[in-house]
Amino acid sequence: MKYQLLVYLSENALSDSEREACYLVSAQLTRHLHKEGKYLDASPLQSVALATSVRVRSGKRVVTDGPFAETHEQLGGYYLVEADDLDEAIGIAEKIPVVSVGTIEIRPVLEIPGLPKEP
Amino acid sequence: MKYLCLAYEEENVLNSLSRNEWDALRHETLSYVEELKTRGQLVSAEPLQSARTAATVRVRSGKLAVTDGPFAETKEQLGGFFLINARDLNDAIQVASKWPSARIGAIEVRPLEEGLPEERRYR
Repeated sequence: MKYQLLVYLSENALSDSEREACYLVSAQLTRHLHKEGKYLDASPLQSVALATSVRVRSGKRVVTDGPFAETHEQLGGYYLVEADDLDEAIGIAEKIPVVSVGTIEIRPVLEIPGLPKEP
Repeated sequence: MKYLCLAYEEENVLNSLSRNEWDALRHETLSYVEELKTRGQLVSAEPLQSARTAATVRVRSGKLAVTDGPFAETKEQLGGFFLINARDLNDAIQVASKWPSARIGAIEVRPLEEGLPEERRYR
């Protein structure tokens, strides 16, 4: 089953050296997951200051600056992984380095037919 | 440039649609996915299971803490995401505003960072 791991972290939680260490461990984790056939995708996001929210009401487009919700920690990136069950997904989440300062939300993906498999 | 589009909708609102209304929304969404794919603008798209199935993980002082439920309780819930190629933010907003559930909920558009930057996390 596919799981999306959403990485929430206060944008100024890490010092420069902590951040560099975190990158190394994150990259190692993705390579390890890839070798085990469990890696589907991962990416950091740009600052939440650059988020835009879009709604359409009565056919009219309403665009606001900022994320969907203002939160104490911000969505900083995501992983998409293949795991047998929630326990395995939790095992992967606890290896994401910023789990010790931020929060990882795990969401099972709903498999539906008709979505493209390749970019 | 790649943009992650996060689709938030009230789960109760989607579940209260009649079978016909849901069929129409579902087909409209799947054909928009096809259209974006044909245009080469879609990288991936996935619906998520209910936010009730979410688990949230933290590690503090080396100890694992797992709680049921999403990171934040919100009136609308993250119901899925689509990752697109867009020229710029305006193009990404254009794509997001045609996603059918933008009429029911909200789409948050976030530019991806191409690799983790060296000098500092956020520019």
